[in-house]
Amino acid sequence: MRSRHFPLWTLLGVALVVALVVGSGLLSSSPPTAAQRASAIESVIRCPTCEDLSVAESSAPTAVTVRATVRQLIAEGRSDQQIEDYLSARYGSSIVLDPPASGWSLLVWVLPVAAGVIAAGLVVAVVARRRRCGTDVLDADVRGPSTDPVALAERRRFLTQSLSDADAEYLAGDLSDADYLSLRQRDLARLAALGPVATSADGPGAVTAGTPGSSELSAVSGATATGTLLDDPDRVAGDVDARVEPSVDLTDRARRRGRNKWFLVAAVGCFAAALALAVPVFSSHRLPGQSATGSIDLSPSQQVQRSLDQAAAVENQDQLGEAAQLYQSILDANPDNEVALAQLGWLEYRIGQQGASTTLLNDARAKLNQAAVLNPGDYAVHLYLGTLLLQLDGNAAEAVAQFTQFLADRPPASVVAQAASVLRQAYLAAGRPIPSQIPTV
Amino acid sequence: MTDLATPPAPPVPPSPPPTRHTARWAGLLILVVAAGLIAVLATRPPATVSEVQNPLVGHASPRISGTTVDGSTFSLPAVPGKFVVVNFFASWCIPCQSEGPNLVQFNFEHQQSGDAQLVSVVFDDSASNARDYQAKLGATWPTLADSGGDLALAFGVRESPSTFLIAPDGRVVAYIVAPVTAADLDQLIARAKATGA
Amino acid sequence: MNGTLGHIGVLLGFAGAVVGIVVLGVGLARGRTNTLRGGQVYAPVILLGGLVAVVAMEHALITHDFSLSYVAQNNSRETPWLYSITGLWSALAGSILLWGVVLGGYATAMVWRFRKRAGDELVGWATLVVYVVSAFFFGLMLGPADPFTHVVGAIPADGTGPNSLLQDNPLVLIHPPMLYLGLVGFTLPFAFAIASLITGRLDEDWQGETRRWTLFAWAFLSMGILLGAWWSYQVLGWGGFWGWDPVENAALLPWLVGTAYLHSVMVQQRRGLLRIWNLSLVVAAFSLTILGTFLTRSGVLESVHSFSESTIGPLLLGFFGLVLFTGVGLIAWRGDRLRSAGGIDSPISREGAFLANNLLFVGFAFVVLLGTVFPLLYEALNNGTQVGIGAPYFNRFFVPVGLALLFLMAVAPALPWRKSSVEVMRGRLAVPAAIGVLVVVVCVLAGVHGIEPLLAFGLGAFAAASAGRSLVLSVRGSVRAARVGGASTGRAALSGWRGFVGRANGGMVVHIGVVVVAIGLAAATSYLQRGTLHLAKGQSTTFAGHTVEFVGTRVVTSPSRSSFQAVLRVDGRGMFYPAVTQFGAGTSTVGTPAIDSGWRDDVYLTINNIPQSSSGSGTTTVWTFGVVEQPLVMWLWIGAGLIGFGSILSAIPGRRRRPTDPVSAPVSGVAPPPDPELDRDTGSPDDASDDRLPVGAGDAP
Repeated sequence: MRSRHFPLWTLLGVALVVALVVGSGLLSSSPPTAAQRASAIESVIRCPTCEDLSVAESSAPTAVTVRATVRQLIAEGRSDQQIEDYLSARYGSSIVLDPPASGWSLLVWVLPVAAGVIAAGLVVAVVARRRRCGTDVLDADVRGPSTDPVALAERRRFLTQSLSDADAEYLAGDLSDADYLSLRQRDLARLAALGPVATSADGPGAVTAGTPGSSELSAVSGATATGTLLDDPDRVAGDVDARVEPSVDLTDRARRRGRNKWFLVAAVGCFAAALALAVPVFSSHRLPGQSATGSIDLSPSQQVQRSLDQAAAVENQDQLGEAAQLYQSILDANPDNEVALAQLGWLEYRIGQQGASTTLLNDARAKLNQAAVLNPGDYAVHLYLGTLLLQLDGNAAEAVAQFTQFLADRPPASVVAQAASVLRQAYLAAGRPIPSQIPTV
Repeated sequence: MTDLATPPAPPVPPSPPPTRHTARWAGLLILVVAAGLIAVLATRPPATVSEVQNPLVGHASPRISGTTVDGSTFSLPAVPGKFVVVNFFASWCIPCQSEGPNLVQFNFEHQQSGDAQLVSVVFDDSASNARDYQAKLGATWPTLADSGGDLALAFGVRESPSTFLIAPDGRVVAYIVAPVTAADLDQLIARAKATGA
Repeated sequence: MNGTLGHIGVLLGFAGAVVGIVVLGVGLARGRTNTLRGGQVYAPVILLGGLVAVVAMEHALITHDFSLSYVAQNNSRETPWLYSITGLWSALAGSILLWGVVLGGYATAMVWRFRKRAGDELVGWATLVVYVVSAFFFGLMLGPADPFTHVVGAIPADGTGPNSLLQDNPLVLIHPPMLYLGLVGFTLPFAFAIASLITGRLDEDWQGETRRWTLFAWAFLSMGILLGAWWSYQVLGWGGFWGWDPVENAALLPWLVGTAYLHSVMVQQRRGLLRIWNLSLVVAAFSLTILGTFLTRSGVLESVHSFSESTIGPLLLGFFGLVLFTGVGLIAWRGDRLRSAGGIDSPISREGAFLANNLLFVGFAFVVLLGTVFPLLYEALNNGTQVGIGAPYFNRFFVPVGLALLFLMAVAPALPWRKSSVEVMRGRLAVPAAIGVLVVVVCVLAGVHGIEPLLAFGLGAFAAASAGRSLVLSVRGSVRAARVGGASTGRAALSGWRGFVGRANGGMVVHIGVVVVAIGLAAATSYLQRGTLHLAKGQSTTFAGHTVEFVGTRVVTSPSRSSFQAVLRVDGRGMFYPAVTQFGAGTSTVGTPAIDSGWRDDVYLTINNIPQSSSGSGTTTVWTFGVVEQPLVMWLWIGAGLIGFGSILSAIPGRRRRPTDPVSAPVSGVAPPPDPELDRDTGSPDDASDDRLPVGAGDAP
């Protein structure tokens, strides 16, 4: 069974390490961008007027001011520590959510680590001492055999119970042969070391030293007083070889198993140490816009959609120039993206109108026409085209044609409401009845 | 009982080692630490009145300048030459409302002697609300709008009302985070003068 | 009249506790069993007193009796009946009343459960301890925390109403009672621990007898904490659900220690080990509930959750000191003489895993306690300068501890008792480990980045698969037992349900719930996206894959609140109404978020800025909305439900087994016929019944 599983575990280990290395971004790490730095700093600065929240999480006006200041300071080229010091100089040191690692507050970092190290050290010391002292003497007896009959009786009960426990576990297959033998030998030795049993003062349940099994034990397994369960015919089938030469064969196997076990422990320990180093190192980089330790990759179409969303958001904030640039970059990568085309055309129209630039206006018209060809069913393009035709060319008839198509494309009512005045204008100018879809302004 | 002179077959340690008192020492340690913790907790003032220290005290004050709620500009030089009381307030802040008349009184007293200038700054509130509030109060001193919150950040203001006293040489000499009275301010000015501000 | 009735109730409770203390004291000092039996009757008296006071207060709240100052401050004529009822625990004095009545309930239940052993000295001491705690809390209500004080001066026509944040959401009806059922419940194991130490009878299985009480308290505390997180999420407006706030930490600390205790008490029941350690855990858990009560109500730490400051701080601190000194003192005095007879055989065993679990939980509790009180310590040491400790500090320790605990949760269910070897474990854990690694690989291929969430997902899958393996084995074992017992195949298959109940199997369901919570937590905190949307009416935009359209506004008024709401359509489907709400006239407004919860993610919307009605510019004014998109938040609440469900399963008694049956053993009493084809590892997990024979009892009782 062991040889069957070994390649599986190696394979699992390798797959895990490779996946973690790829997933942690180790291979593609780059110095943090300004946005990443801002996010990281904002998540450790307390919002001045809130309780418990960082400025990254809060929408209070003071938090907005601090965020803006942080970004400005990053643009000026200050380091993270300098920015934290700048804010501490004004708000006091409690503005930083992470206690500084100096002075008294070093305690708050050192104490937990020290406690952990001490606890681990205690555990290791206890395990090592037990190994060193040998297993003949019960741990409680290291202090010396108690002469207190109650304590003695309790220890006898404990050891007897342990023996029958071990038998039941072995019967059910939870203990391997070597483990069962070693536990049994050790508990028998301890029982013998307690000395011969005194009189009836011990009460019921005591066991005489010569018989390593209690009545309960015999009832369970049918073991004889002198033998071990290894000879028990009722035992669940297992290794036949173990029954033949138990002592020699098992010790040898036990030694080999011991070596393999330490090797595995060492491997796991190295892995855990590597993780412990990797986790804080790679989790400190914040990816854009997130106060997080990770990100989710987008497929190409999702990326395009995200860029479109970004551009639309910027356009909403009336930053037309920036929005136009964003759309242009989308188009550079995806020349056939008709949404970008239509929006960019519309933006160029608006900018061209503001600056009365004929080149822009002509380009706008070309783009919108191209977009209309690419996707005739898009209501937005028709709205834009119609508006352009009406306002730029004064061509009401063509505008109405576009608007009719616009209405036929089933636009949402809010959009119709927004465009209502332009629509009415066009229909009136062309002398056509105003469709009922258009609400009265 | 075993006979120590001739030990029988089962091995017995020659002499009992000293008994361990782990629980006792561990318990004692925990009790000492707990006593310390309880002593600290027992002597803490409630958080809402504990003194939030402002690191500006004793240092040069930030420049006080900006647009007032009326739309004009106001600015003080870095070395103002007289005491300046900077009061951060909001129209919805109840302690500020109780403080308002005191400021009116203070301003009236010192306007004539000219040794102290009162400036109010809007904190976490809209300029129009603040303007109405000041008008109702009858405030005649400048009220800066601080729409971006930059002045509040420069002073490290976390709550209203917050009042700073600036000496004629530009240093911040006092910081009060509770409603002030005219007498409080006069006392602080007198103390600052006495210590050679 | 309400006030008088309430005072009578409180006095009755207090008197019952004090007389009970005296009677039991006499009985214990003189060794008279009849007196001890007589002392048990005072527990129902305490409960009665508490109930009378609760009825009086609820009556006053529902009928808006403003002659009581508590009602005047926490109720108003417009308050809906639901929030009138919850007014009982909305403020400090009422919360002490709730504590008192829950404590009376637990005392009565304990006295009833042990009525047959009422003459036993140990039961007598335990009841005495419960009476002392009750006397303290009812005593508080006679003095500084009196809920029934009369208004000074004229009776107001209308009260000020409850705190705005406490009448925003119906969860206020459930969260505090559950939390108190949990916190107060830790009094019982503490009482038994003190009794065991005083009487020196540590070898009997009192911990096991009170196991169900402890599980009950722990389950309610878990639910209380998670419901509190859900409530914060829905009300506070920043999009998060856990802020490492001092009040949140105050409830978390006893939970951490309680979870450690629930695991290590199993080692004590099975092997009789770790007795002193378990006693220490119980004392620590109860002391932390008192410390938590102090931190919440004394006002030394600022928190958005805390009650108003009052004078009961020093009294609570004094009681904390008394509890801690008594418990630790007794352990220090008795501990060395009452050690367990043996030790843990091997680190690779279930005992070893539980010990590691304990070290991690207790270690993390230490970190949380240190982080919560350190600002106070620093201030004391440094003469007034302050330091801030917030979420980044706690998260830094929480992530490695959480990952290590996930790993332990995966390995421990497959570990047998006593001793095991790497070979046995490798065989048993091969499939769960493969599932874990597979999940990591799939996530990386799907584009998920970040080492911490990847580890969380992988280890979580590993742990869930390991728990699933245990459950499958247990179900199979039940089915086989039924077949062996003579049932037909169909009925045997149906009796597989038994594989889900009982301590170990219910525990596996709880573990699966914890894994679901962990995965939700990892995803929500690692991949959240925050943003602000500037929208005019009719505009829409997209954020993080969702479209948000600002449709319009509306105003919703009711007698108790007026709410100015923005109507937002998310993804073209649902309408959501983030709002700015004012409760009652003249109070400040609070922002109310709106949440679009989905399986994949939550979209959390708040109003950040309403444009001032500008001077008739005619252009569309732009509103500012805050939006937070967090994946898998729903999983947190689903996991919480699983934890509760698993706790219920755990309390249902499993099949009658002998207490020393090993992990993989078949059903007791019927040894299976020797079957060479039977794989060695197809038994059912350990599932000791509740009537655990104490070690050394010899014959069955």
